[in-house]
Amino acid sequence: MLRLKSVKTLVIASAVSLAAATGALAFPDKAIEYIIPFGPGGESDISARFQQPFFKDKFGQDLVVSYKPGGGGAVGWAQLNSMAGDGYTIMGINLPHIVIQPAQKDVGYTTEDINAFYMFHYTPDAIVVTADSPYQALEDLIADAKANPGALTMSGSGKATANHLAQIRFDKMAGIKTTYVPFKGTGASTTANLGKQVKAQWGYTTVGAAQGDAVRMLAVAMEERHPLFPDVPTFKELGFEMVGGAYRGMAVPKDTPADTVKALSDMFGEINADEAFRKQMLDGGFALLDVGADGMAEFMKARKDEYVEAATEAGLLN
Amino acid sequence: MDFEHLANALTLTNLALALFGVVAGTVIGSIPGLSATMAVAVLVPITFAMTPASALILLGAIYTGAIYGGAYSAILLNTPGTPSAIGTTFDGYPMAKRGDGDLAVAIACYASVFGGMIGALALLLLAPPLSSVALAFGPVEYLWLSIFGLSLIASLSTGNVLKGLAGGAFGLLLSCVGVAEISADIRLTFGSPTMIGGIEVVGALIGLYCIPVLIDLVATPERHLKVDKGGRAVRFREGAIIAWRSRFNLLRSSIIGTLIGILPGAGGSVAGLVAYSEAKRTARPDQKFGEGEPDGIMATEAANNATVGGGFIPTLVLGIPGTPPDAVILGALLVQGVRTGPTLFEGGGSIVYTFIFGLFIATILMLPTGLLIGRYAYKTIVTIPKTILVPSVGFMTIIGTFAIRNSISDVIIMIVLGTVGWVLSRFGFAASPIVLGLILGPIAEQGFVQAWIIGEATGNLAGMFFGRPISLAIIAFTILSLLYPVIQGRRARKLLDMQAGSNAKTDD
Amino acid sequence: MPRQTIELSSRTGRKDIGTLIVASVFICLGLITLYDVTTYSDTDSVVFPTFVAYALIFCSVLVIIASWLRPSQSNGFGSGDWWRRLLLVATMLVACLIMPVSGFLPATAIAFAGGLFAARHEGWDTRSAVVFAASGIAIMAGFYALFRFALGVPLP
Repeated sequence: MLRLKSVKTLVIASAVSLAAATGALAFPDKAIEYIIPFGPGGESDISARFQQPFFKDKFGQDLVVSYKPGGGGAVGWAQLNSMAGDGYTIMGINLPHIVIQPAQKDVGYTTEDINAFYMFHYTPDAIVVTADSPYQALEDLIADAKANPGALTMSGSGKATANHLAQIRFDKMAGIKTTYVPFKGTGASTTANLGKQVKAQWGYTTVGAAQGDAVRMLAVAMEERHPLFPDVPTFKELGFEMVGGAYRGMAVPKDTPADTVKALSDMFGEINADEAFRKQMLDGGFALLDVGADGMAEFMKARKDEYVEAATEAGLLN
Repeated sequence: MDFEHLANALTLTNLALALFGVVAGTVIGSIPGLSATMAVAVLVPITFAMTPASALILLGAIYTGAIYGGAYSAILLNTPGTPSAIGTTFDGYPMAKRGDGDLAVAIACYASVFGGMIGALALLLLAPPLSSVALAFGPVEYLWLSIFGLSLIASLSTGNVLKGLAGGAFGLLLSCVGVAEISADIRLTFGSPTMIGGIEVVGALIGLYCIPVLIDLVATPERHLKVDKGGRAVRFREGAIIAWRSRFNLLRSSIIGTLIGILPGAGGSVAGLVAYSEAKRTARPDQKFGEGEPDGIMATEAANNATVGGGFIPTLVLGIPGTPPDAVILGALLVQGVRTGPTLFEGGGSIVYTFIFGLFIATILMLPTGLLIGRYAYKTIVTIPKTILVPSVGFMTIIGTFAIRNSISDVIIMIVLGTVGWVLSRFGFAASPIVLGLILGPIAEQGFVQAWIIGEATGNLAGMFFGRPISLAIIAFTILSLLYPVIQGRRARKLLDMQAGSNAKTDD
Repeated sequence: MPRQTIELSSRTGRKDIGTLIVASVFICLGLITLYDVTTYSDTDSVVFPTFVAYALIFCSVLVIIASWLRPSQSNGFGSGDWWRRLLLVATMLVACLIMPVSGFLPATAIAFAGGLFAARHEGWDTRSAVVFAASGIAIMAGFYALFRFALGVPLP
């Protein structure tokens, strides 16, 4: 089955290169609509805005960002496959949302419905405390949580989200019990942390980048340290196998031809390879990721297993 | 904050941008459904090519213009163009109906400029200390603030308080529909994909306020607004006199607007309503709020424009958006490579101060442009024949509601809710309590759930809910505002008794 | 004025049926909510709707009692043509339902025409029909262009 599939891809790929030789310069010959299934101003919007000028620069066509918020993204994703599959409509996608939402309830789409073609960055999970917090290092926080089980409150964005799953997984790894307080979005969660309504925050490296000296990150969930924060250790260094966060990418409707999907994947890969783009993203606290259309199935499966396991243990799925 | 920054703001480009921004914002804001957030978001790509300061000035000007523009449709069509203008409908539309629409538009403009200036002044002089207000407000404070907001139902529901409360509860219930904001359930959708996104506030506003007006308009051949025949002179001066007489109301409302604007969870709608109820509470006995009282318009409009400057305080100082449009502006700044937060006021100070002066300029420009556009809007709405007015407004409600989230479901919900709202209003269940519930529901729910979780974790639930000074102050305010009408009513009755002797009693 | 008093006297003693129906519907909504919350998995999402449902039922019962004791005389749908109201709302709803199939402009043209007919009390002649149709097309085209092209709204 697998081999058959790869043969098929090969055939398609050669067909594409043939097409490329003859007339593929035609794509894109008009503006591409880029739908963000959230409201403006969030991480999904901001990272799409980063891509916008580079797309125009490289491919001569506009990338028009529009918004279709509702249901934590579900409204947009549920409608994705009813849109025109000509490559001129793409939609932002987020993990763990597209795994957790359909696993919990009928939200009008399934994870398999989402035809993702590129995952371009993630915001690594991080534990954030205020600059004057007594927690100097991760071990202080763990010690406090062990001494007072459940009394350590941590803010985060929403429930069954990247922040929440990170809290569940970390609690289990460190053998501690913390209390997760869900807020509406990262902004509100950060405000609660800064205002000392909670003792710490499950946030992302982007929070550290935006808040500068006002906050301190205790650890980040990356393979290696983030270049913007050379002094912040990774969870791995401290002995916790935690790498991940909220992943963002783009998807197209299911009936989009494979060669168009490939072309889009290559285009966004090219943007991701641009040094200026990489620098902008890193300065914003994002971490880059390069999962194109060919590696997507494997990537999604790994994430799905990971999320479903954590969510099941926490009783979020029933 | 010296004259260098003022000079920077005063370049020809920046002045032109501020003017363009105010005009575009006012027009966009006046169309129901096109909110300030959207006006700002649409123009973000244009700003990529500008310097950060110019970009900020343009976006700030659009924002402030859009908040003002919401007053036009509120006054002339009873439809808040943005949620911030809900309170403007209460007295604005009655004024327009009796033929004073031009006056209402003029005083709304004066009040907006005044409020905008106070907000900008607070941003200029007091931003770092005031930003601590945003941090002092925790979940419990938001819970009590929303309960204070709900207590306004008592003062807003004219006549039947019980029906107002039932309507408010209905609104709270509507706010639960869809995917829950901070928990992980889908509520009250009954499996329908139409409802999964929940009930969008702006769409609901358009439905609840505008559709009933349209339904009533078509039913009878009467004119939409009363027109004065005598070719009356423009009533700018009359408006100015009224505004000057209410300078205390303007100042109080602007301060309320600034403070509530600083709170990231509240926003212009709450600010306008709180200022309105304060103005109503302290009204003279001869003022009839809800029947076309200029002070009601001024309170709301001063407060909602003050939230612009107020909202920028946490945005620029803490890097936490004070209002939804601020979130978009924050994102645009990030793309520009400008990092907000504590360092901005110190390190990148020049951008901030150039922007603040730009905001002043935009607010001042709003005076001539606002009066001009307002006059034009008034004339258009008054002279246009009803036959074409009704379908045009109907068309605008559809396209405007669609544009909020690019969703047809929202349009269907808008129409159905509007029709239901019309039926309800015919039996004394007014729209405003429902809207109040819809807006305040999520704030109350999130505040309650978070406070409960934190209180339980720290083992001090009672202290969490009743032991924090700001909470206690808000609770006191709530009780005061609930009791005040009773005390005032008694005092007024006594006065009447003394003055009119036996006549007053038959009135009961 | 005299007409109003006649109406009043003829209605005294009658119950305010509309209010009673609305309040009963509210009570039903509250009960439906109380049923719906039993399907939620997360207690955090149960608390608030439950409380609100009880509040709604409580207030509605009070409304029913109050209106039973002192029926309000001013309620009712008033005068006016029902077919106009229905035409307006129905055409708007139809427009929404066919929009995904027919596209934005054809769908809203139906709503626009419905609104025109509903709002026209003076009757029709060729001239007025042409004038209104033309201005209608101009207004719709103008707004469509503004939203679609200037504001980038992806209208269907």
